[in-house]
Amino acid sequence: MLLQMDNITKKYGEFSANRGIDFSLRAGEVHAIVGENGAGKTTLMRILYGMEQPTSGTIRLNGKEVSFASPLDAIQGGIGMVHQHFMLFPTFTIAENIVIGNEPGSGAGFDRKQAVKIVEGLCEKYGMKVDPRATVSSSAPGVQQRVEILKVLYQGAEIIILDEPTGVLTPLEVQELLDAIKQLSKQGKSFILISHKLNEVLDVADRITVLRDGAVTGVVEKGNTDAHQLSRLMVGRELMELDRKPITPGEKVLEVSDVSIRGTKGKPVLDGVNLEVRAGEVVGIAGISGNGQSELLQVISGLAQPDSGRIAVSGKDVTGMSTREIREHGLAHIPEDRYVWGANRTATVMDTGLMGHQRRLQQGGFLKLKDIRTLVSGWVQKFSIKTGSLETSTQYLSGGNLQKLIVARELEQGTPFLIAAEPTRGVDIGAMETIHGELLKRREEGTGILLVSSELTEILKLSDRVLVMYEGRIAGELSAKDATEEKLGLLMAGGTL
Amino acid sequence: MNKWTKFTLPLLQPIAAILVGLLAGAIAIMIAGGDILQTYAEMWKGAFGGMYFFTNTLSRATPIILIGLGAAFAFRAGFFNLGAEGQMVFGALSAALVGLYMPGPGWLVCIAAILAGVIAGGLWSVMAGYFDARFRVNLLISTLLLNYVAVLFAGYLVAYPLKDRSGSAAMAQSEMLDNSVWLPKLISGMPLHVGFVLAVLAALIIFVLLKRSVIGYEVRMLGGNPLFALFGGVKRGPMMLGAMFFSGGLAGLGGAVEILGSQYRYIDGALSTADYAWTGIMAALLAGSHPIGTLIASIFLAALQTGGMGVERNTEVPLEVGAIIQAVLILFISARFTYSFLKRRKGNKSDGTAV
Repeated sequence: MLLQMDNITKKYGEFSANRGIDFSLRAGEVHAIVGENGAGKTTLMRILYGMEQPTSGTIRLNGKEVSFASPLDAIQGGIGMVHQHFMLFPTFTIAENIVIGNEPGSGAGFDRKQAVKIVEGLCEKYGMKVDPRATVSSSAPGVQQRVEILKVLYQGAEIIILDEPTGVLTPLEVQELLDAIKQLSKQGKSFILISHKLNEVLDVADRITVLRDGAVTGVVEKGNTDAHQLSRLMVGRELMELDRKPITPGEKVLEVSDVSIRGTKGKPVLDGVNLEVRAGEVVGIAGISGNGQSELLQVISGLAQPDSGRIAVSGKDVTGMSTREIREHGLAHIPEDRYVWGANRTATVMDTGLMGHQRRLQQGGFLKLKDIRTLVSGWVQKFSIKTGSLETSTQYLSGGNLQKLIVARELEQGTPFLIAAEPTRGVDIGAMETIHGELLKRREEGTGILLVSSELTEILKLSDRVLVMYEGRIAGELSAKDATEEKLGLLMAGGTL
Repeated sequence: MNKWTKFTLPLLQPIAAILVGLLAGAIAIMIAGGDILQTYAEMWKGAFGGMYFFTNTLSRATPIILIGLGAAFAFRAGFFNLGAEGQMVFGALSAALVGLYMPGPGWLVCIAAILAGVIAGGLWSVMAGYFDARFRVNLLISTLLLNYVAVLFAGYLVAYPLKDRSGSAAMAQSEMLDNSVWLPKLISGMPLHVGFVLAVLAALIIFVLLKRSVIGYEVRMLGGNPLFALFGGVKRGPMMLGAMFFSGGLAGLGGAVEILGSQYRYIDGALSTADYAWTGIMAALLAGSHPIGTLIASIFLAALQTGGMGVERNTEVPLEVGAIIQAVLILFISARFTYSFLKRRKGNKSDGTAV
């Protein structure tokens, strides 16, 4: 056994993040860890990578007991970690990013040519292609992911931890990454893959460990399991099947006509976009991030102004109106970035939950604190938002719990039109089920929903119609029954059907 | 976090800053060759020893409180208004002019003078806000520079066209207000005037406003995350102009009550050398822009100044000991800023999937 973690327990005060976890890794194995938010996956990996010390338990590497005081120790022990958010210097070249920390050269001098040669050698050896001279900022996310992996390989890693590696990748890039993992494991490298995407896990992993509430609920071999069993182990109960009742779409609640935004480099950010959403339908927008989806949503919600074109919400022209006026005309908005648009970190949970309702829950200019408290604590219960109290500062909510709070807040607006941008980003399966259920309930009640998501499964599960955005344009439209991941993937990459 | 720590934790840093400040002062006293305990005893007497000194401290605190509240309000909304000095000076000047030249019964003139002070300070402040909204002139820089404009302009007025020529004519100052328009004293024979009541009321009103009102909520959200506020339908432009008017208006009120309650005329430089404006801004920072905290911090800082004067009167130790304590305080306040900034950075990273 290459790596053996025995009876790992980690306590933060009263709270146990890991409870007696056993975990092992064979040489050349891909071992996936799955579990909901807060199940303890990341804590376990932080312990292995020397970022946290376990309260009790032992780690053995090649049979010898080790204890890593810092990531530096872990790296020297042959463990490398690729974090969920890339840790690269965008303005530097790929070669520079890979050799950092152990640069070739003599004395104070840095041998750039040698660095390029080293990286070319690495690419050759591991069969992963990157251009060492290109800057990171000009490289696609998939390439940046490879750079991160090459970096840990250069550091001499035998065990590579990948934390949610496919979050920002396109379907094609995901496939390339999974192929690379298989290839490297054949060469003897071992992988620990943290993920919540079960289809990817089932594709690439040899063994899968499932965590729930800080404890192991199952260790299964790939051949003996399926997505259904895994999600039951993760959630601890059966998941409900969502059913989308057939509905005849009603009035137009959103009409976007010929909206364009000029870009800075001559290429338009939005290029004559036309779309409509009717009452009682979910329109999904698929696309690789950065193809104009964010800008489209900003323009619709009044956070940005279009250079040309017209936007109507519930039949009224709202072009050029402020966010408040557009909201008053019937828009609610689950924003794509919960920290930028969705919350005030320093405010209390109650204050963050109040936004958009403050003009409704008032009397003579003063907030009806009692009503507000009842409302927000209702959401906390309904969505099982884990928070100390309503007075807890928003920054102490985990990402998934904050997302639930924001979703609850925007659903509560009760508007005829709802933008749902990445509504389940970072939330666990149980919460995802709740949020999807609520969205579909709103659909049945006649709300028109514009859904933007980088998760194709989510798009396919919820949408009545799917639009694909590519380079600021609507590249294609598919009905729910025609849409498949393959067709969408093709359109997203700029192809045609 | 239980209730007790929740209440005491925010107080910990200011108290630590004050203790370290006093310690630094002790070292300074030692270097100046004074007796530490005796000097601090004199300082205490100068600030709080007896009714006269106590009310004198509160009277000195009055403009500082109002200015501090104005600064705190703007900070809470996310606008760094450093123009308190200019806003106070225009408030004071306008109050003096109305007090001198408006006909009518004394009480009416007094109220009109106060309102004139609020409006003058508010408008001067709104101007900087407008420049920011319309021409993207950085608010911090414009408010700061407009201080010079206001102070020098007011100085010119009382040095030339409005100069008091009745007395020895050596000082650049306006004529004296008729005592019918003076703000009444709270206790006869003591320096404390009605302005202090206004200041305490203002602190309470702002406290309730921020905590309980819709506007207060939107102000806090705007200050905490402007994009979140915009997203939720808070209009930044009008909010900014409103917050700047309110903030400047309070500074103007501070200047006005100082003229109507203490000085009874506009004397060139009198408000600036007393350092009311910057002490007020410091009080707001010390209190983390909390209105009640600003009230307390203002009284504390005023006590340091009146205490320092007591020290100078009765010992060999110079007045500057108080200034040294203040300076160390500023250092420790800025240390707190760095600390909370670091905490926020850490918070950024905790956007993870795990616990």
